[in-house]
Amino acid sequence: MPSQLSFTGFAWKNLWRRRLRTLLTLCGIGMAIGAFVALVGFSRSFEHEWQKLYSSSGTDIAVVDKNFMNTAVNQSLLGKVRAVPLVAQAEPMIFNIMDITPDVNALMFGWLEDSYEFNSLTFSSGSRFHNGKPELILGELLAKSQNKKVGDTIELEGSPFTVTGIYHGGTALEAGAIIMPLDQLQQLSSLQGKVSGFHVHLRPAPSGETTEHYLKRAQLQIEAALPGLNAQPAADRAANNQFVGLAHAVAWGTSGIALLMGILGIANTMAMSVFERTREIGILRAIGWKAWRVLLLIQVEATVLGFVGGFIGIGFGWAALYLLSTLPQTASIVSTSLSWDHLIEAMAISVLSGILAGAYPAWRGSHLSPVEALHHE
Amino acid sequence: MSSPQFEVRNLRKHYDDGRIEALRGVSLTIEAGEYIAISGASGSGKSTLLQLLGGLDTATSGEVLFEGATLGKTVDLDTYRAHRVGFIFQAFYLLPTLRAIDNVQVPMLAVPGDTKSRAERAEALLLELGLAHRLNQYPNELSAGERQRVAIARALANHPSVLLADEPTGNLDSVNSARIMEILTGIQKKRGMTLIIVTHENDIAHAAPRHIRIRDGRIEA
Repeated sequence: MPSQLSFTGFAWKNLWRRRLRTLLTLCGIGMAIGAFVALVGFSRSFEHEWQKLYSSSGTDIAVVDKNFMNTAVNQSLLGKVRAVPLVAQAEPMIFNIMDITPDVNALMFGWLEDSYEFNSLTFSSGSRFHNGKPELILGELLAKSQNKKVGDTIELEGSPFTVTGIYHGGTALEAGAIIMPLDQLQQLSSLQGKVSGFHVHLRPAPSGETTEHYLKRAQLQIEAALPGLNAQPAADRAANNQFVGLAHAVAWGTSGIALLMGILGIANTMAMSVFERTREIGILRAIGWKAWRVLLLIQVEATVLGFVGGFIGIGFGWAALYLLSTLPQTASIVSTSLSWDHLIEAMAISVLSGILAGAYPAWRGSHLSPVEALHHE
Repeated sequence: MSSPQFEVRNLRKHYDDGRIEALRGVSLTIEAGEYIAISGASGSGKSTLLQLLGGLDTATSGEVLFEGATLGKTVDLDTYRAHRVGFIFQAFYLLPTLRAIDNVQVPMLAVPGDTKSRAERAEALLLELGLAHRLNQYPNELSAGERQRVAIARALANHPSVLLADEPTGNLDSVNSARIMEILTGIQKKRGMTLIIVTHENDIAHAAPRHIRIRDGRIEA
């Protein structure tokens, strides 16, 4: 069977003729897409872990101040939250981040010893802490990285705390966290009498009422009972809190810059390629290729770069996430699971980058006069 | 009485905003199946005339009618180049990244067809031109004569009725030159094609049944 030449095969041969340049361009777009996959994947994973954190504990609504970072809600308001008819359980909580070694920081949660939020945790050793005592429990990821077991002590802000339990929870956030008595974290954070907010578990919705409507009704009741505070459905709270918002913004901003560099890389490669192949384009035009077919050829080459670069980028991105998930500094907030939506989005962005980057070189190449192109030196 | 295949009417071509007049009112007719040599000194306008006949360029004024239709007006030049004419160049102009058989398939990508039949036709053309053993060689692995034979196969790929050759033996030694001319005239006779050769070699020009001399952009009487 004689060698068969297809249109896409021809495009691929054109790319492969300058292997080094093509590979460097693929690395460029691969790095850009890798940055997108890793950073946006990281921020989404962070959001996802927050959502799991709420859903696994059974929290339906988070009652917080206007600003999540402001932990100035009075703990004394707990009674008012619990008095709202639709509320089954309400727990005060403090959320914070603290350095536990110069290199490693950890998420800190302050709970009451009988909080319903313990329901989502399973103790692999030891048990709960006690209110009023310098005790804490460790997520197993953190316990492993810090080589701690039940009975050991951890020094926080100069004070020793005894590890009473090691747990594994449903989320990466919990697996890398410290949970301690609310009063102890208030003391460490100099926030006596204050909490980050209240987590609320609602009574079952009456039959016939949609979850959405029920949540809205509960929100209004809680906000009416606690003027000035926000009652937000847990899913909204997870998606819109400042930490997640900041992570999304940084991820998209950084990825955007990386993608721009990648697009410029492809555009440069294609522009150089068109310039170097001016005579060949003249030959194609001379033997009957229409301008749009030349345009399509160059555009296909750029798109192939975007497509292959997308695959490489997904590989880079996953590798970066894997690396981050093994580092003690980031293990608690990084998951290597990438959703299909995210991968498809990355491929679409990569292919679109190729199309965009190839547009001008393709237009230029297709508009060359056959005679001038043939005489090009 | 049928119309000529080509009718060239008062063709003028200027370059550089009119400072260079490559053609200064050329008129001629060419019948289908003719073998014509066009000769002239360097810069006389012979290659420009060939480019205008082949639809590679457009005239400043005047017109070229192909089978009664005006090139560039009633006939789309891309379609005309793809289906009706085949070009052969002095420098071969093969694509360096493609094997001989793939080079022959490139023009076929411009017209409808499947890859298998394209490959079979390319193979058949190369076999016809005595290149059975060179199908999978790259241009840089071929001799000059072999490259020109691949270029001829490429020119024949889409069954054109006209072959236009611009100095086809200009880069060849005398043995290969004779071989290429033998092939071109053989194809012209066998297929009844029109063959128009631009050359500065007198023996080639005189061997053609019809010889047109161009001087300073005009046909010499």
